[in-house]
Amino acid sequence: MIAFDFNYFKPSTISEAVDTFNEARERGEKTIYYSGGTEIITFARVNKITMDTVIDSKGIPECNVLEIQGDKLVIGAAVSLNKITESNLFPLLGQTVKKIADHTSRNKITIGGNLNSQLMYREAMLPLLVANAKVRIAGKEGEEVLPLEKFFNKEIDEGKFLVQIIIDTQYVDLPFISLKRTRMSKVGYPVVSLAALMKNQRIRVAFSGISEHPFRSAVVEGVLNDRTLTVKERIDKAVAKLPASIVQDIHASAKYREFVLKNSLTDALENMEGIK
Amino acid sequence: MDTSIRSTVGKSEQRIDTVEKATGRVRYVGDYAVPGMLYAKLVTSTEAHANIKAIDTTEAWKVPGVRAIVTGEVFPFHIGPILADRPPLAFEKVRYYGEPVAIVVADHEHQGKLAASLVKVEYEQLPVVNSVKQAFETGAPLVHTDSGQYMKIISDVYPVPGTNIGSHIKIRKGDFGTAWAACAETVTATYSFNLSDHAALETRSTRVEINPAGKVIVHSCTQSPFTIKKVLNQFFSIEVGNIMVHVPLVGGAFGGKGTIQLEPLAYLASKAVGGKMVKLQFEREEDMRTAPCHIGFDATIKLGVDKGGKLLAGQYTFLIDSGAYTDQAAGITRAAALDCTGPYDIPNVWCDSYCMYTNHPFATSFRGYGHPELTFAVERTMDQLARKLNMDPIQLRLLNCIKPGDTTPTQSVLTASNIGDVEKCMLRAKEIIEWDKGERIEVGTEIVRSKGISMIWKTSTTATNAQAGAVLIFEADGTVNVNCAAIELGQGTKTILGQIAAETLKMGMDKIHVTMEVNTQYDPHQWRTVASSTTFLAGQAVLAAAKDAITQLKKTAAIVLQCAEEDLDVGGGRVYLKPDPSHGVDFKDIALGYTFPNGHAIGGQVVGVGKHIQRHLTPMDKETGFGKPGPWWSVGAQAVEVEWNERDYTYKIVKAVTVLDGGTIINPMTATQQMRGGMYMGLSFASTESFIFNEQGVMQNPDLRNYQLLRFGEQPAEYLVDFIETPSADGPYGARGIGEYGVIGMAAALANSLSVAAQVELNELPLIPEFIWRTKKEGGK
Repeated sequence: MIAFDFNYFKPSTISEAVDTFNEARERGEKTIYYSGGTEIITFARVNKITMDTVIDSKGIPECNVLEIQGDKLVIGAAVSLNKITESNLFPLLGQTVKKIADHTSRNKITIGGNLNSQLMYREAMLPLLVANAKVRIAGKEGEEVLPLEKFFNKEIDEGKFLVQIIIDTQYVDLPFISLKRTRMSKVGYPVVSLAALMKNQRIRVAFSGISEHPFRSAVVEGVLNDRTLTVKERIDKAVAKLPASIVQDIHASAKYREFVLKNSLTDALENMEGIK
Repeated sequence: MDTSIRSTVGKSEQRIDTVEKATGRVRYVGDYAVPGMLYAKLVTSTEAHANIKAIDTTEAWKVPGVRAIVTGEVFPFHIGPILADRPPLAFEKVRYYGEPVAIVVADHEHQGKLAASLVKVEYEQLPVVNSVKQAFETGAPLVHTDSGQYMKIISDVYPVPGTNIGSHIKIRKGDFGTAWAACAETVTATYSFNLSDHAALETRSTRVEINPAGKVIVHSCTQSPFTIKKVLNQFFSIEVGNIMVHVPLVGGAFGGKGTIQLEPLAYLASKAVGGKMVKLQFEREEDMRTAPCHIGFDATIKLGVDKGGKLLAGQYTFLIDSGAYTDQAAGITRAAALDCTGPYDIPNVWCDSYCMYTNHPFATSFRGYGHPELTFAVERTMDQLARKLNMDPIQLRLLNCIKPGDTTPTQSVLTASNIGDVEKCMLRAKEIIEWDKGERIEVGTEIVRSKGISMIWKTSTTATNAQAGAVLIFEADGTVNVNCAAIELGQGTKTILGQIAAETLKMGMDKIHVTMEVNTQYDPHQWRTVASSTTFLAGQAVLAAAKDAITQLKKTAAIVLQCAEEDLDVGGGRVYLKPDPSHGVDFKDIALGYTFPNGHAIGGQVVGVGKHIQRHLTPMDKETGFGKPGPWWSVGAQAVEVEWNERDYTYKIVKAVTVLDGGTIINPMTATQQMRGGMYMGLSFASTESFIFNEQGVMQNPDLRNYQLLRFGEQPAEYLVDFIETPSADGPYGARGIGEYGVIGMAAALANSLSVAAQVELNELPLIPEFIWRTKKEGGK
């Protein structure tokens, strides 16, 4: 049960949503956009977040799109993870989000919600990073399309909200692999999660679970694609060049995460390069 | 023993609560709301060990709908089932993170919850005792500075003032020192694991009101309705007869609902609002953080054998993490001591079992009551001993297994009736797990299949005067209502009691109606629904009540049929003449007495009454443990087969086996299901469950996001269950208890199989891949 009161709005257009947000903010209210609500409900009931106003984006048609438009795959922010998997429009994304939470939760969890999660994992981002996805953002000044990284590096005003994710269709049918390792169960937060694509004989790979944010690193990819080295050499070098130190928490120690990361990278490289 | 052909006992009758549950129609305690009912919410401690300097309720009172805020001063006394050491609401001091500090009572639950979050408690931090090892060290901070002053509720509890020892139980059998020196081979090993959760589907919930006449009416999901009466009487001075406890079906308990925590809080809350009905229901996080949990455990075991591998001496040191209060952990400390050897005949035994205070949540009974824990340590040691002796681990166990004529650690003499056949169980388990095909097999690159075994035993350490009663009330149509205070918590006990009534009355199960709800006002006293004791105690009571009813039926029928009572027998819903069964009278014609054609009536309603009380049980001697703690020992053998990946250290549980000798099995299907459920629970706690505390003693995972259980799909691919049925002369139709047994050997069998697979000794839980990886990397040290 959520103990505190808050306002609920369900706008049916983007501009109505933006206006509602700005009005609430001018009243001094802590306001958040949401779609599935799983994180808001579970955190609010244990007082880990508070808000004065929520704006439900599920009633906005643009947020519910899931289709190929020309040479772009467009995914609305309020589309559930299960719908993305079932559509099979981008198999790497479908397989990666299928590993988040459990089936019942994925009926509610949306891609926009996962990308905006307060938790460090945000695994839906991994396929988008390797596919150079763009995001369509709406705000007071109107809509704009930005590279994914820009939005999620929090370089933009929090009053703007995620409408859609746009992926160039040249990426959706590339060879891929999605791997997730947890502490124990098939369901759970990742000790290591990675998503990789093979484009022009080069591996593109993004990671979650090993540092405070999901990431893709040009340096790491450079090393992993240096075929003058053995797989083991490449992996050792890549792990030495991670952009941030490996985290340690109740799910796994940093040392174990490193061990699991190396194993996962071995599996990914061997699979993608057809070694096994 | 009764050798007649049985119609119901021994048959897999469908559980009588199945349809209600499968259709979602069962109403649990928390499902009820009554107009005018108020809601209680707890303010809980954010510190693991601190003095309470001040409690500021100003902001909380501003929330609309708040009717009362109760703090520890209203009841500055200690309660507890064994040693009264726990204030129901903390006063002056908090001793664990999550401990109740105040109760907010409000018109609506959300108001109470909001107000509870606004109560400001000022703490002065105290040094935290964060492990049993630390608690045991000389000079450790004290969790209780005055444990010598606490009232003993049960005699077998021995706190050591000035230390963190809440109780010290000793076993001294034979001459351990001399025997140890004479051993040809010895092994010493240490084990440990942290506290964990029961994780019953139904979180704990209660409603309490004090009516204008002063009667206290409690609705609760409890395993111990009569203990609620006892506690409210003993500590709150309410007359026993003025306390009524109602218990509907309980949604899983596993020992966690055996102790009394919510009811006194809800009573204080109701009292604060003029006796109005107050509901107190834990949310999942509170159920994990605030309610009593499963003990943590540290053990050191030393075993010594002669040249042939026969056990001569065993020494057992148990440090039981009872958390902030002893609660049932004091009883577990005793139970672990009195069965410390496992089912082995060892002439020289030395055991020190310590109940240790720490600044963790307090622990209570958990399915198996100390036995899954001691068995993990004992059976891991047996495997390590077998390796040292270069002996097959099953052979070592068979050579030493306990038999009638041997004595237990408390020097109880075992007989053909009071213990099952552990050797037969082991041989059957060996067959089922296909032991002879190999203990460790490499089945591919990286994949190893391995097997682990465990022998188990447990006695039911009830109170020495534990008892149950039953009343069978006949309906006008000749069917029978069975009333008794056994709690249905998913174990199928009501079905079993129905079968015992049906068998004895020689009626079909469809003619037996077992009352699901328990009401202490009309159900006879029953000790508690714990300790695998209900089939035995309540079963005997139902059997006696059925016999009593038969006597009444025959008495009336003898008049109707104009013959002697001895000429009559019952069956098929009739009383009939033995030499001519066609001559008889239907139950329906005598159930409410018999009415002659002229209108005259005789006999009156048939109401069968029966009871059963434990016989010849004794407390244990303080210095040696000598005594008779339980009525019988059910025994068994369990096995686990895993598929372990030597590259990434992950594993799958392929098979889990239980072969149990629990005497006669009343219902093979529900018994099998109990074993499966037990194995699941044991494997879950052994493989993945554990509370995690930070350096300040604050629980890091009091929620199901971060506290992992074995999920559906991760259970063993195959559960294999079989029974050996050595009847007990004392039990109903030869039955002993079986409820807890499935869980007991699982941690041991899983750890044994993984130790064989990884070729390293795995002596801690949970057995997550990271632990195996780390142990292997550290070379098993």
